[in-house]
Amino acid sequence: MTQPLTPAELAAFRARQKSRSRALALVLVGVAVLFFAITLVKLREEVALSKQARQAGVAQAAH
Amino acid sequence: MSSTPAFATLALPTADWRDFYALTKPRVMTLVIFTALCGLLAAPGHIDPVLGFTAILCIAVGAGGSAALNQWWESDLDAGMKRTRQRPLPAGRMDRSSARDFGFALAGGAVITMGLAIGVLAAGFLALAIFYYAWIYTVWLKPRTPQNIVIGGGAGAFPPLIGWIAVTGHVTLMPVLLFLIIFMWTPPHFWALALFVQTDYAKVGIPMMPVVAGERSTRLQVLAYALVLLPLTLLPWWLGYTGMVYGLSALALGLVFVVLSAQVGLRRARSEGDAMKPEKRLFAYSILYLFVLFAMLVVDHFATGVGA
Repeated sequence: MTQPLTPAELAAFRARQKSRSRALALVLVGVAVLFFAITLVKLREEVALSKQARQAGVAQAAH
Repeated sequence: MSSTPAFATLALPTADWRDFYALTKPRVMTLVIFTALCGLLAAPGHIDPVLGFTAILCIAVGAGGSAALNQWWESDLDAGMKRTRQRPLPAGRMDRSSARDFGFALAGGAVITMGLAIGVLAAGFLALAIFYYAWIYTVWLKPRTPQNIVIGGGAGAFPPLIGWIAVTGHVTLMPVLLFLIIFMWTPPHFWALALFVQTDYAKVGIPMMPVVAGERSTRLQVLAYALVLLPLTLLPWWLGYTGMVYGLSALALGLVFVVLSAQVGLRRARSEGDAMKPEKRLFAYSILYLFVLFAMLVVDHFATGVGA
């Protein structure tokens, strides 16, 4: 049969729940920041590539 | 007043975040991160620091995920061994489904992120590495054959290969050599440990080499692998992929590895009250060996510019 928790056990249980929630929140913020940074890098790479392609096109047209 | 009835929570252990962290085997992860970083830094070419960081993070998280899946699968075995008894699952601080879900979430998240940020090839190799450790090694090989460590060593050999691919985008001979070096390093490293904890493995029925083939055979195999490892680590230098800094370091480190392995390999079987000092010394040195060898690979890359 399941026994009810003592107040001390309940407090410890809540503390563990809270620590998990905080850790999860930190991880989620970290993931959001990481994906934002990856997006910026990918955009920068795309812009640089299209600039190169444009310049190559201009050089070809000049010839 | 709390909305959750107090009696309903007793059956479900709520693990602390530290228990989830422990599930990822952080000490093993140190070596994974380090070798992956060395593969990434020694590779020819350039990678944006943010993407480089992401690649290493994905490798680390993937390794953590596969470690969690390993502990989920082996919780019964872990309970029977002194070395692993205090892990979150056998100690009863976490329920098995939490460990399983955590492992799958980490593994899946790492592969998807790697695919989006770095590319399909790196993500594919990461998925293969996770599958290799969590299924081929943990579920299939480990309980069936004393060669489990030899073939399963491939799982730990992937990180520098993936780190290299993250930069270059393709597989060449050099990252395969890095893979093979860790592959050949794993048996003497692990069997040195297995020799001094063999009673634990025997107790839970895992067919580790010392338990199945006996101590004498295991000792000789430790020496044999060390002898093969030495020329293998010199191959990158001989083939011109690295310079003298790496080559001479590999030679010196490898010779010490062979000497320490010979002390284990040519030793007689243990006697009563044996402290197993040569085995413990080899185990400790093997970790240092791999750290320094891969560090020298990076130092050589930046110092000599060979293979850049």
